Amino acid sequence: MFKLNNKLIISASVAAFAALFAVGCNGTDATPNSASSVSTADIAGGVIYPISNGMTGPYAVNSEALSMKLNHGRVPTAGELKAWDKDVMPDGTGLPEGEGSVEDGEALYEAKCVSCHGDFGSGGGGYPSLSKGNAYELQETLVNNRMNDPEADGPVRVFGSYWPKVSTMWWYIKDGMPHPKSKTLTDDEVYALTAYMLNINEIEIEGEDVSDDEFVLTRELMLKVKMPNENGFEPNIDGPNALNDVRAYYANPTNFGAIKVKPEERCMTNCQEESIVITRIQNGGISDFNPPMATAKDLPKTESALDVKQVYADNCAMCHESGVAPAAGDKEGWTSLVAKGMDKVYANGINGTDTGMPPKGGSSISDAEFKLVVDFVINGK
Amino acid sequence: MDNKLSQKDLISKSVDNENEISSRRDFFKRTAALSVTALAGTSLMASEDDKAITHHVPWGQVWGDPVTKNLYGMPSAYEHNNTRRNTKLLASGNYRASIAVTPIHESEGIITPNGLFFSRSHGGVAHVDPSQFRLMIHGLVEKEIVLTLDQLKRYPRVTRTHFIECPANGGQEWRGPQFNSLQFAKGFMSSASWTGVYIKTILEDLGIKPEAQWMLAEGSDNSEMGRTIPIDKVLDDAMIVWGQNGEALRPEQGYPVRLLLPGWEGNLCVKWLKRLEFAAEPWYCKEETSKYTALKPGGKAVQHFYANEVNSTVVSPSPEKPWTDLEDGTVIEIEGLAWSGMGTITGVDLSFDGGRNYKKASLKGLVLPKSWTRWSYMHTYRKGEQLLLTSRAMDDAGYIQPTIDQEVAVMGVESVYHRNAVETWEVTKTGEVNHVQMRTPGGIKKNV
Repeated sequence: MFKLNNKLIISASVAAFAALFAVGCNGTDATPNSASSVSTADIAGGVIYPISNGMTGPYAVNSEALSMKLNHGRVPTAGELKAWDKDVMPDGTGLPEGEGSVEDGEALYEAKCVSCHGDFGSGGGGYPSLSKGNAYELQETLVNNRMNDPEADGPVRVFGSYWPKVSTMWWYIKDGMPHPKSKTLTDDEVYALTAYMLNINEIEIEGEDVSDDEFVLTRELMLKVKMPNENGFEPNIDGPNALNDVRAYYANPTNFGAIKVKPEERCMTNCQEESIVITRIQNGGISDFNPPMATAKDLPKTESALDVKQVYADNCAMCHESGVAPAAGDKEGWTSLVAKGMDKVYANGINGTDTGMPPKGGSSISDAEFKLVVDFVINGK
Repeated sequence: MDNKLSQKDLISKSVDNENEISSRRDFFKRTAALSVTALAGTSLMASEDDKAITHHVPWGQVWGDPVTKNLYGMPSAYEHNNTRRNTKLLASGNYRASIAVTPIHESEGIITPNGLFFSRSHGGVAHVDPSQFRLMIHGLVEKEIVLTLDQLKRYPRVTRTHFIECPANGGQEWRGPQFNSLQFAKGFMSSASWTGVYIKTILEDLGIKPEAQWMLAEGSDNSEMGRTIPIDKVLDDAMIVWGQNGEALRPEQGYPVRLLLPGWEGNLCVKWLKRLEFAAEPWYCKEETSKYTALKPGGKAVQHFYANEVNSTVVSPSPEKPWTDLEDGTVIEIEGLAWSGMGTITGVDLSFDGGRNYKKASLKGLVLPKSWTRWSYMHTYRKGEQLLLTSRAMDDAGYIQPTIDQEVAVMGVESVYHRNAVETWEVTKTGEVNHVQMRTPGGIKKNV
């Protein structure tokens, strides 16, 4: 069993392992699993429980079930692969051709993104900031650590100062944005938004003026982007030796703040330095829990079927209380909209609008219930 | 009726084992003696009858519900406070890219009920139509496949008990305690018995190409949550699961199918799973670059920080469940949880003075790999005594929980994720419980 552990860092049986790599594998050196370092630890520094004598750790297993050819499912069509294989890798794999200007990106951002991410990506409403200024200057704040001075400025971790790859931004905008209606942007629109992200973070591309509104980002130019914090991460995960690098990293507990000790050598008495004192929660801490903390074993108070205030707080307040859209009870703000007729207001609310209103604010209540929420938002009661 | 049964039981057993009977007799004798002593004390003396005993209770005199009610059972209405909770600090504005945390202070054993399992998503909880579920496995495999849910479930099942923990569990408290609550201080985790298939079983069929080093797991939710996973884990104990505590996954846990990487960061266990792709290079997904990376004091951040390290907490007492009603001299169990994503819990120590001196606690119940493990320590409570309860766990990978100073010396206070230093409850002289931290103020020396 020891031999098995030493030879393989996976817990699959030798037979299963051989079968797994039987095709297209002509030597163990080529497999990523033939770790050169001898270890019973897994890649993250944890224990491997090999399947041995019908057991893995405390669990019994049917070893036969792990080594048989089962052949379920079918081969995907080329069309199916094309439809789903849309990830974008740093080297440009999966990145389609296209183009978009900073100017178009800004217009799109103002229409579809600003309600969550704030003016010029400054953040808001609990959604991330996308820029805090010049990325190269802010990258230098990553060494700011409030471990010694709690009042000091902390590190700034936004797209420009922190993210290692620009491909991540393109891919996430394409797949996950805009949040209430994702996967609705064209490739050119995603290029435009990415161009705008580079612009507001003041990222430089060799030989290009990204600060110019007229700047047009293309696939070719995107592949030339080198993010300021590209080398800000460890362990190395690139290249054919990546997994060995990761294994080596986690084999050393001091890399990630962990401590190893033989159980019999752990400190049991007088373990603490004199400098250590009780640190208490400051200023009352955080206690705005929803629902409020309670442990009573009693019957709940009967509630009305629909709590419009709660629906508003959970779904509407982010935009309607931040100035993006009229707030609850903002008579002035609602006058011009209500003048178009309540049917129009209800319909816009229920179906959503292109200017950022998600259908029913993203809630899952019925149309009739939603109308009650609209009444509340307009009247403030 | 019960008396009759138990007497009959005793008689039948006496045939088998006379010794046991005599030991039982001794036990009854001792109990009787103790009862007399106890009744002499004031605490057990009642001045008047308890109406819960002397009067008929309402539910005892009327019909209960017909079995046709609640065809899917619900908790007692009296348990309405045992619920997930959220707070604005941990939420996007509209509670989509957000978290609702588990009431650890009410937890029993090593399984979280499905309705209380912590809920974290990056684009809201998706509701997947199982008839339209497809799982595509492609890239550097010899044979690419697509599976329906029924086809996926034809693979041989395995069932494993594992916790899932968000690596930001406790991550709001690097610079000091913030939550006077066990639910919020440690509730970014839950545990379940998961049923599914080892990915290595499916790869038996597909064959994996030798240059494959990484697997992309991608969800079908509106954020298309993706993460890059090293092949080592895929071929070790990674599972594709559809069962949670004996039923289908809950929507909050990725219904109908999620990835499960035992012991590793919760966000790696991609929910509403749709696609696994194998490749030679990693993907740099949004949630493994912009987030879930741990910034260290030198300005470098740990990326691909996989395993949740050894950790523990005192569950009883807690800020939510204090000892204010305990009498002086009460013998009380201090109970807690220990867990490690690196292996199996081998021991837990408990300190009453904030980590200066430790005593060995006992492990309880099933002690499983990469699982919640219960521990226990019997304590005689002294009224008016201040305690600083600090638990410290160890695992079979050889790790022990660091002190706060030790962890901060390496990781600083800006890393957000993977905080597993020992944590302390202060039990005040009146039995209230407060979340405190034992650390060196104003920064710490290097090389602690």
